[in-house]
Amino acid sequence: MVVLASVLGVFDISLDKLSNGELWLAQFFRGLSDGATYASVALALVMIYKSTGFINFAQGSLALLGVYLAYIFSVEQGLPVALAVVCAMVASAVVAAFIERVFIRPFPPDHVLPLVIVTLGLLLIIDSAVGIVWGFRTRSLPSMFPSGAPIEWGIAQLTWRTIGNLGTVFTVVGLLYLLLSRTKVGLAFRAVSSNLESARLVGIRVGPTLGFGWALAAAIGTLGGALVVPDLLLEPSIMLRVLIFSLAAAALGGLDSMVGAVIGGLVVGLARNLLVTFLDLSELALATAVAVILVVLLVRPTGLFGSTRVERV
Amino acid sequence: MRGLGVVPAGSRQHRRRQIIGWALFALVVVLIPFLIADTYSPTIFGNRYTVGLGNLSQAIGMMVAILGLNIATGYSGQLSLGHSFFVGSGAYLTAVLVNEFHWSYLSTLGVVVPGLFLFGVLFGLPALRIQGLYLGLLTFAVAAVFPSIIRLDEVKDRTGGSNGLQIESDLVAPSWAPLNTVTEWLHAIPGVGSRVPDGLTSRQEEAVYKYFLLVIVALVCFWLVRNILAGRVGRALVAIRDNPLGAAANGVNLAAYKTLSFGISAAVGGVAGTMLAMHSGFVGPDEFGFAMAILLIVGLIVGGAGTLHGAVVGGLAIRFVPEWSSQTQTLPGTDTALEGPYGTAILGALLIIIIFVLPGGAAQGFRRIKARLMPVAPQPPRG
Repeated sequence: MVVLASVLGVFDISLDKLSNGELWLAQFFRGLSDGATYASVALALVMIYKSTGFINFAQGSLALLGVYLAYIFSVEQGLPVALAVVCAMVASAVVAAFIERVFIRPFPPDHVLPLVIVTLGLLLIIDSAVGIVWGFRTRSLPSMFPSGAPIEWGIAQLTWRTIGNLGTVFTVVGLLYLLLSRTKVGLAFRAVSSNLESARLVGIRVGPTLGFGWALAAAIGTLGGALVVPDLLLEPSIMLRVLIFSLAAAALGGLDSMVGAVIGGLVVGLARNLLVTFLDLSELALATAVAVILVVLLVRPTGLFGSTRVERV
Repeated sequence: MRGLGVVPAGSRQHRRRQIIGWALFALVVVLIPFLIADTYSPTIFGNRYTVGLGNLSQAIGMMVAILGLNIATGYSGQLSLGHSFFVGSGAYLTAVLVNEFHWSYLSTLGVVVPGLFLFGVLFGLPALRIQGLYLGLLTFAVAAVFPSIIRLDEVKDRTGGSNGLQIESDLVAPSWAPLNTVTEWLHAIPGVGSRVPDGLTSRQEEAVYKYFLLVIVALVCFWLVRNILAGRVGRALVAIRDNPLGAAANGVNLAAYKTLSFGISAAVGGVAGTMLAMHSGFVGPDEFGFAMAILLIVGLIVGGAGTLHGAVVGGLAIRFVPEWSSQTQTLPGTDTALEGPYGTAILGALLIIIIFVLPGGAAQGFRRIKARLMPVAPQPPRG
């Protein structure tokens, strides 16, 4: 009992807060909403990792570009937000396919480090290009979902936005599953990600398949960005923070598992909101995410759902 | 192009060439601060560029930071995107020791080096289990966390939180340092002397003194790291990078050497932090966030991973490229003004171009030019 009290004292936890069910629920909903957005960017990262074996550090930047395009289409051109987001997804997919063709495909796919460095370079270029073109003024992008909350429980609100975010992510995962398991493109994609050489030998055109993967990943990332941004304000550095949480989510779930990305995203979102509220760690939102991945990776070095690589020794 | 003719390695001509090279290098290093004590600002195509001594000193700090990163990433092949964490820790450790215990800057190295070495070893322990890109991810996240740790309520009083920390100690040149005498001598040289000011103001004197102090610290770091890497440890690290299995089969203790590489890397990074604190007399949390982590990787690759002189080029590049691009107001032949973060974009483009055309970085380019101009024939070892 004394130990418990001292632990509570160290973290400055008040029992009032802990027994406040509404606060728990409110933070739980917020965590789900945040988690869904992290999950969608994490899904994009996982798509690239699965097929090519490296992490695209420019994923957040591609999403940033997409969100700015969505802003242009919706606020400046007056399209409905949902339609604008779809247009932006298509546009960022085209950009990503172009980038893959020009910057990624010339390199031998089995040498990962140069490719990671190239994506870091792309991150710098795209982020500063967005800053140059659109400036550092903050803007606000309206949400795709109606405001208001259908279910309220004191301060805890299950808003349409939370429901929409979660629904979008699960729809995306469902569609991806169907795409990968039921279509010819999906089959080719799975073949390439499981064994590139053999896929090439049986006549799959590896390059276009990987380009397709990049385009799809960028579209999903843009969608994720469009889910995040209405909660915050749109400015050029916004996706870097999201990228870090999404990287945490992807690492947590295992870099090559789509289910892992979604669960990882939700866990990171929940951990962030619940731990921060109840341990009073507002400055440590990011650090909690890092601590979560560190612990998980120490126990399971390839994440929760990642496939363990068998090494012959 | 005709070179100087082939000389056998280790011969007297080769030695002479090496000695001349090093003497020229030393001459440049010694003369530069006097030449640009007044900021040197050439005008090219209507743009005024500056090469300030302060920026150069900061670049020297960056060189040492890249040198440290090079040990973990360039030599032993462990992708570390969180090196800014060590640099930042070193800088803050120095700042706090100087402010609260009134130590001198250099004596803080006595705490920074062993402290950061231990810290790096602790950091390296999880890195044994977490490999490749997972390690890259984790270190990237750790780099992003550093500013928020500094801003924590518990340590805010010490670290100054978001406002940063002014270090309450000036580096004043000691009275025995003959900076003014040297300046007067140089000024007396006909021709070149007109570039050197007649005498140094106290601010210039401080800048020149700081520069030499930083150069000496940097030289000691490079020399020590070179010696570590030239011996058993260096070979073991390179073996781990190139083929971990083969290294283990030949009796290299992977766990011990990987941990050691993180320790040394962190210690050198900490020294770089101390140097940056010495340079600016101020430490702020956002200086050492992941922006710096990425910059250090850029410097490492542009200069050349796995080479020592690559770190020198890399440090200069990441300091001066953004500076000069922000000073480029007009492009020749166009009306376009470069406003906004062009510097970062140029660094990104440079990174990609280097990976495409010169994967070994600038160091590889120098080596090629040298092999063309001053070829050295390798000799079989004697005995």
